[in-house]
Amino acid sequence: MTMIRSGLVATWRSVRNTFRLIFRTWSGRIALPIVLLHLVLTFFGPLIAPYSPTAMPESIDQYQNLPPSPQFWLGTDQYGRDVLSRVMCGAGSLIATAGTGALLGIILGAVVGMSSGYKGGRVDEIVMRVMDGLMSFPTLLLALLVLFTLGPSRFNIAATIGFVSMPAIARVVRSTTLSLKNMEFVQSARLRGESTFYIIFRELLPNVLPVLGVEASVRFSYAILSVASLGFLGLGIQPPSPDWGLMISQSRRFLVVAPWVALAPMGAVASLVIGVNLLADGIRQATRMAKEDKHE
Amino acid sequence: MNEKRKNETPLLEVDHLAVTFYTPHGTFNVVRDVSFTIQRGEVLALVGETGCGKSISAFAIVRYLLPFHPGESRVDGTIFFEGKDLIAMPDSELQKLRGNRIAMVYQNPGTSLNPTMRVGLQMEEVLKQHLRVESKQAHQRTVELFDSVGLAEPDRIGQRYPHQLSGGMQQRVMIAMALACDPDLLIMDEPTTGLDVTTEATILDLMVDLKQRVNAGILFVSHNLGTVARVADRVAVMYAGQTVEQGPASAIFKRSKHPYTTGLLQCVPQPPSEDETNTRLRSIPGDTYAPEEVNLQACLFAPRCPMAQEMCHTEAPEILSVGDSHQSRCFFWNNVHKGIWGELEPRDEGIRETAEPVLNANKLQRFFGQWQRKYILFGPRVRPPVRAVTDIGFEVGGGRTLGIVGESGCGKTTVARLVAGLIPRQRGDILLRTEELAPMIEERTDQQRAALRMVFQNPTTSLNPKLPARHTIVRSLQKLARLSRKDSHERAEELARAVRLEPAYLDRRPEALSGGEQQRIVLAAAFAGESDLIIADEAVASLDVSVQAQVIKLLEDHQRESGTSYIFISHDLGVVRYISDDILVLYAGHIAESGPAECVLNIPSHPYTEALLSAVPIPDPDATPTRIRLGGAVPTLRERFQGCFFAGRCPRKIGPICDNTPPPVHIGPGSPDHAIHCHIPVEELIKLQSD
Repeated sequence: MTMIRSGLVATWRSVRNTFRLIFRTWSGRIALPIVLLHLVLTFFGPLIAPYSPTAMPESIDQYQNLPPSPQFWLGTDQYGRDVLSRVMCGAGSLIATAGTGALLGIILGAVVGMSSGYKGGRVDEIVMRVMDGLMSFPTLLLALLVLFTLGPSRFNIAATIGFVSMPAIARVVRSTTLSLKNMEFVQSARLRGESTFYIIFRELLPNVLPVLGVEASVRFSYAILSVASLGFLGLGIQPPSPDWGLMISQSRRFLVVAPWVALAPMGAVASLVIGVNLLADGIRQATRMAKEDKHE
Repeated sequence: MNEKRKNETPLLEVDHLAVTFYTPHGTFNVVRDVSFTIQRGEVLALVGETGCGKSISAFAIVRYLLPFHPGESRVDGTIFFEGKDLIAMPDSELQKLRGNRIAMVYQNPGTSLNPTMRVGLQMEEVLKQHLRVESKQAHQRTVELFDSVGLAEPDRIGQRYPHQLSGGMQQRVMIAMALACDPDLLIMDEPTTGLDVTTEATILDLMVDLKQRVNAGILFVSHNLGTVARVADRVAVMYAGQTVEQGPASAIFKRSKHPYTTGLLQCVPQPPSEDETNTRLRSIPGDTYAPEEVNLQACLFAPRCPMAQEMCHTEAPEILSVGDSHQSRCFFWNNVHKGIWGELEPRDEGIRETAEPVLNANKLQRFFGQWQRKYILFGPRVRPPVRAVTDIGFEVGGGRTLGIVGESGCGKTTVARLVAGLIPRQRGDILLRTEELAPMIEERTDQQRAALRMVFQNPTTSLNPKLPARHTIVRSLQKLARLSRKDSHERAEELARAVRLEPAYLDRRPEALSGGEQQRIVLAAAFAGESDLIIADEAVASLDVSVQAQVIKLLEDHQRESGTSYIFISHDLGVVRYISDDILVLYAGHIAESGPAECVLNIPSHPYTEALLSAVPIPDPDATPTRIRLGGAVPTLRERFQGCFFAGRCPRKIGPICDNTPPPVHIGPGSPDHAIHCHIPVEELIKLQSD
């Protein structure tokens, strides 16, 4: 019991320290509020939104493409729906899909990269050439291809994004694995007769995690862009669900009369991507700072 | 009169030097109190173990602290160079002194030279920059300088790029460059540390020679007492950022007046004494003082000192004069003698009788790479594989230690890895008692894996940095001793105590342990399987002498208690001589000599063994160095030797037979197991080597 408590205290302390370190960097100071805001929207968006995101007023004509006003802070779209509410409710599905996609990519990439790098030889050669082949396709084109055959659903989108981001992650993980696998602690694990599975997941994985952390943040922001792009192309979440990419695509026609309908989801996507990127930057700086502190 | 007065003001006078590094995590007194003086034409050696601040002190003289600490730092005390205060001197003026009047030679010559420039051009650039001479003169001077540091073909060597030179040649070029402007002070930071013993010996010869030719003061920074004894006139011993003792070399080595110095000297395995009694090695308990520890009002060595009194823990000792220009930082310097570290115990030779062999290796062979055909501009160029190990066989007796020695690239590590099964052998067989071992570790049985364990050179990378130290011990117990989870944790704590570590250390991450502690964890894991044979591949090479002695003693104790055999691989002949019963001398993937230790290390021996032995620096300034030196570099191993593998560098080469015919095996007179692979008959070798 006390062990669990002391463990929790230690974890809390390290989390707090990490936050403090992140907050010491400029990018962290800017990024944290943005990302936190988006996270709040993800979980509580539908609860705090002033209107229902899908509800259309009975008299659409009256409410169509209204400019921002105290009643509708970001105006209304061509069906008279409140843009603010739609933006707020769109965050959840986007972040969830992108997050799942990035996570899948990380897991796939880590497993492929570590196994291939550790095994080495011909296996490695073949696997990495396949990865090179996948990487030579434009990401979006590959995703479109997969989605056309599978059909658009949230899970399929996430799986596709995971699949297309795998090669790059596998490459990075493999290079780390290559430098690790000749280190003596891996050799001594072999000498004790550990299985390949054990060596990869117990000995190597903890050492690859820091690399994966950095990679995850980068992949997450790419995934957000991909989900939004797929939505814009109509292969994402289907209407009438509020989706930022879809919203931008639908409001194209009214860009001149009602630019706010397009600008709001655009701003949302942009701020999220910038926030996530800046946060990743902050984390990287913070870990570097922590490392330097330790070394001195 | 004038000449005499010039000699009276010291060339360099460092007084109460202190260096402080400021970091976000606090301030560190990396150098606390360092004082020494250097006269013209004198070599002062600054000796100490890792982290004692010796290099920082040396570079603080020219305010060159960037490599050690990128942030803010502060230098206190006084540094007078020919009467000028270097600390108060503005940067621009100091810059003029650096490289010109004060020259530096660094530890790693490979990274100090520009890899994209021919060394001759680099040298000429230095000359043009500092002396403002014409190209032609610069070229001429370069050739002269290369000649003066003993580089063969000085007029042609300038055409080469740094990677085309061996480590020893690179260091010679660096020294030539430092001498380019006739400096008054030469700072050499571990100039021989990265080199092989045979190369080190030639560089040390050069330094002894330079000392007489150049009228400069030399500050020689080193951790190796042997090299210091060879070149130094005066020695300053450092501990925890302080100079603890300073004096003439002979006084320091013979009549040391500080317990740390006497301890340090006794940690180095000595060649057997005249009366042939082997004594056990002694070590200094504990670990070196870390710079982050608070600077208490106490003697910093007191926690490790065998003669520490109450006073030592409450009062900081000042430097006291203890004799003719000999100073010590010890209250009780008068009582310091060799005996304070305990009486010399004779070594127990009881179980060192030959039992049945544990391991038998036969005709091992391993080449790296494949035949490659490369088309570079004109026609094919064939690149043969590297013949790392060609036909090596040996036997390890039960409870005995086989020492494998040789310079880097001789194949000793490859042999270890072949036996351990980390890389598969291409030919030959290995028998563990009577069982044939599979080439790869993955194909061997659990019993075989438990019987044969390995300890690596670098303790830091031998432990998983992300897992607590106990992980490797506990897993070894579970996999090899088949203990349950609970039992293995209990046994791990017992093993930790056996290697003199508190069980609490087991829960630390490797980064929170010192190098010596890490290596002891690794040893505990190696002892876990109750193995028959432990391969120690340079297991003490990266440790400080005082810690090295602890580890060697642990290995010895374990062998006495359990009768485990060792294969002890090292480039340090002193350590191998101390620990081994049998010795295998390797050169270029071939056996040069093998046999019982006392036979191999005595006359007659293979010319290569002879050269190795005479290259080992002995920590005694009065020892007369034997003048057998090897020129050239270790062969590339890409071609098969037509004749003797050692013919290219052999100082005792007898003629074309050495180049044409592989050497026969001669049996030495002392033991039937003593084999010398040389064309020269044994009787002749005896005659040659007794002179």
